[in-house]
Amino acid sequence: MRAQLFFASLLVSLPVAAFDLGGFGNIDLEKAAKVVQKVQKANADINEPQEIDLGGGIASNLLGAAPLWDNPPVQRYVNKVGRWLALQTERPDLPWQFGVLDDDDVNAFAAPGGYVFITKGLLARMSNEAELAGVLAHEISHVLRKHHLQALKKGARSELMSDLANDAIKSQGGDPRLSKLVSAGTEIYARGLDKQDEYEADRMGVVIAARAGYDPYGLPAVLQTLQSINPNDSNLALMFKTHPALGDRLSLLDGLMSESLADSEGQPDLAERFASQLKAK
Amino acid sequence: MNKHSRWLMALMVCASMQSGMALAGEAGAMSKADEMKAEPFRDAKSVKALAVGEKLDILSKQGGWFKVKVGKATGWVHMLSVRKGDAKKGAVNSSGLLALSSGRAGTGKVVATTGVRGLNEEGLKAATFNEAELKRAEANASSKADAATFAKQGKLVARSFDYLPAK
Repeated sequence: MRAQLFFASLLVSLPVAAFDLGGFGNIDLEKAAKVVQKVQKANADINEPQEIDLGGGIASNLLGAAPLWDNPPVQRYVNKVGRWLALQTERPDLPWQFGVLDDDDVNAFAAPGGYVFITKGLLARMSNEAELAGVLAHEISHVLRKHHLQALKKGARSELMSDLANDAIKSQGGDPRLSKLVSAGTEIYARGLDKQDEYEADRMGVVIAARAGYDPYGLPAVLQTLQSINPNDSNLALMFKTHPALGDRLSLLDGLMSESLADSEGQPDLAERFASQLKAK
Repeated sequence: MNKHSRWLMALMVCASMQSGMALAGEAGAMSKADEMKAEPFRDAKSVKALAVGEKLDILSKQGGWFKVKVGKATGWVHMLSVRKGDAKKGAVNSSGLLALSSGRAGTGKVVATTGVRGLNEEGLKAATFNEAELKRAEANASSKADAATFAKQGKLVARSFDYLPAK
């Protein structure tokens, strides 16, 4: 995209230089050049360091809503599972960080740049490492596909995203416009992503878990467990509000998994390691 | 560790894994019509046809398969053809780890807070920077090398699979 735009602006600016002879053609061309610049602005993406800075701000806000669970061994365990999964993806070099939030709500969150969190309430409903891997891989997929950045670009703060992309806002140094973006990013958690983004993260999550050597049915197993919880349980309210129906997510996976992931049959779920890690404390 | 005790260890791990997988007769029902198979494989022999809504007991799980009992018949059904539990009865948890979330497990430290907090809509909208907590999160991060060692310990082998297409 960037190369294309560069080419387009070249096309426009060249004639300006070459045929700078008369009145009206010149003005039109200048106008055209400005339009190109504007289009360029609207389409420019923030770079990776900016993505990481913005994501760090959003993650920090999330931790303002719910702190980390004070259990360093489990935090490190979840980080190892998550990092191993991330290594099987197209963005292995992001500064991936995983955390368990000290909250009974059942939910999981991702922030741009490689931040992934699950709640203690969700962890407590899992029965093996493959399930943990499936959920983390779903969140990792949101980061890989930059779903939150896209939501920000489409939202009320799209102008600020362009400004950030064009270095009009510095991603470090406390620009108040940056905190507006960070707040907008945090509010996406209350509103939810596009349904299609959730389905995509499900489809990618099971594959990433399979690539990492896990039984890929961990994610659907968790969705099934959640399906068996009383839907009026207030701990599920936000997750239900911000995600497609569990039944729809499960039937979508049902239609895809058995064929394409047949080779993963027999991959371990590491129920033993999961149980020992969580009961250690 | 000599050869013999390694074997013994492997056996013990096997045995405990089996018990870890048991779901102790959790209730479920067919979410769509499907076949009960003699073994947990797609091309295994069919035992009987199950109709949508048919009630069953889930005995254990293996990969994408549930070992189930329907009436007098026992066999394997693809996990995604089954709907687990009875939602009206409330939470079902087979792992026994639910105590974690009660806050009474003695691990969750109560942190003094002011104002709205929590992972609900109001809490998220009111949330403000917690830089110290982000630093703590960073401190727990794993290196690539750590992750690879950890995977090896769990006998996890990386393999290549293509992403699934959208339907």
